[in-house]
Amino acid sequence: MLRYEIGIVETRNVIKAILDMYGYDFRDYALTSFKRRLEDTITAYGLKDADGLISRIQNNKGFLDHFLKDINPETTEMFRDPSLWRSLREEILPDIVRSTSKPKIWVGALDSGEELYSLCIVLKEIDLLDKFNIYSSYISEETVKKIKGGKIEPKQHEANDANYQRSNGVKRYSDYFPQGIGTVMSTFNVDLIDGVTFVKQDSVFSNPPSSLKLVLFRNQIIYFNQILQDKVLNKIQDALVPGGYLVLGVKESLENTNANNKFTVTNDAEKIYKKKTG
Amino acid sequence: MYKAVIIGGSAGSFQVITRILNSLPANFPLPLLLCLHRLKHVRSGFVEALSIKSSIPVIEPYDKDQIKPGKAYLAPANYHMFIELGNRIALSTEGPLNHSRPSIDLSFITAAQVYREKLIGIILSGANKDGAYGLKKINDFGGVTIVQDPNECQVKTMTESSLQLTKVDHIYSTNEIIRYLQKIKI
Repeated sequence: MLRYEIGIVETRNVIKAILDMYGYDFRDYALTSFKRRLEDTITAYGLKDADGLISRIQNNKGFLDHFLKDINPETTEMFRDPSLWRSLREEILPDIVRSTSKPKIWVGALDSGEELYSLCIVLKEIDLLDKFNIYSSYISEETVKKIKGGKIEPKQHEANDANYQRSNGVKRYSDYFPQGIGTVMSTFNVDLIDGVTFVKQDSVFSNPPSSLKLVLFRNQIIYFNQILQDKVLNKIQDALVPGGYLVLGVKESLENTNANNKFTVTNDAEKIYKKKTG
Repeated sequence: MYKAVIIGGSAGSFQVITRILNSLPANFPLPLLLCLHRLKHVRSGFVEALSIKSSIPVIEPYDKDQIKPGKAYLAPANYHMFIELGNRIALSTEGPLNHSRPSIDLSFITAAQVYREKLIGIILSGANKDGAYGLKKINDFGGVTIVQDPNECQVKTMTESSLQLTKVDHIYSTNEIIRYLQKIKI
């Protein structure tokens, strides 16, 4: 395993260059994982070192979009934590739709579409897909194109399928691939995401949709330091209606943040929180 | 003098790690960081199993938890566990490394960068090469490197890969690892 390793000073130099040139602010990203992503990018594009990366970012505007895509780790797993998806399917989503007409859901965390696909499958299976307004975040144009295209690599199916079955899916996982799944790239049934509105975000989530009833924000704040965690959670709290739900990753907790007193815990194991009404 | 002990293991390491945990006193002066390969979809049960006879509390940390002496931090299922500057845990869902999430290499590399020469790294029985590169990084930063004696391992691949990559400080049986850790003073 030969990879280029950069130091903290160089990492800060890259962050400053991106901020100065494009306004994307990574100063409060968790340092260890951000540094690692920079190293991956430098290695993947054969850029030699941090200065090489800075000069590529500064001299090639098209490169920024690749950078924004690569800097956000792809989780590459549908129905991660199947027990959460059972809870959404059986309790949370039916409950929301009973109390509100056309409630808004925001798939906030940046990934390569797995969370959105999973949500749309669940809504389809409980016959509620047209009862919600769904918003999905993206930061890189390349990623949103990929999500809309629905291409999934063969190696991902095994985990996706196992998770889907554990989530109490009522069909077969392969039913969501009109041309089937096999050893080549397969295409997710993107008809399911037809009604989804994609909302561009910056690196600090300055632009959440408003009046939200449910926010899926799993395994995103792990990439932030505590300052940015507090800021982003505060924005999410503002964007939720009272009584709206926030879902974090199972190893993310509001307890380490300032947002803790703004929410009650609905399901501690799955990290489902509810915004207080008062 | 030391700041942390980090232990990596896979197939055949469970009994070794429980023997180590069960032999250390509640006032063990360092944090123990445990990165053990585990089934990614089984979130509960592992901590409980490791805790049964351990005087040291075993915790599956949340992201950004402060790392404290006298506690054992077990990398959670389906996350990588990084050590962050400021002596905190940072979790990650980036792709598996060496087919593993948690990856021992990633925990070891990030711990080596934070604790440098004040880290003790231990590789136990296991069935792939994950951890070998991480142990090398600990060695590069001047930390102490220990490998369980391959003759004692249920599966030798992980220890032998580590020995190929690094001239380690000690090759120890489980009993010797325990005695070494019991003698640590800070």
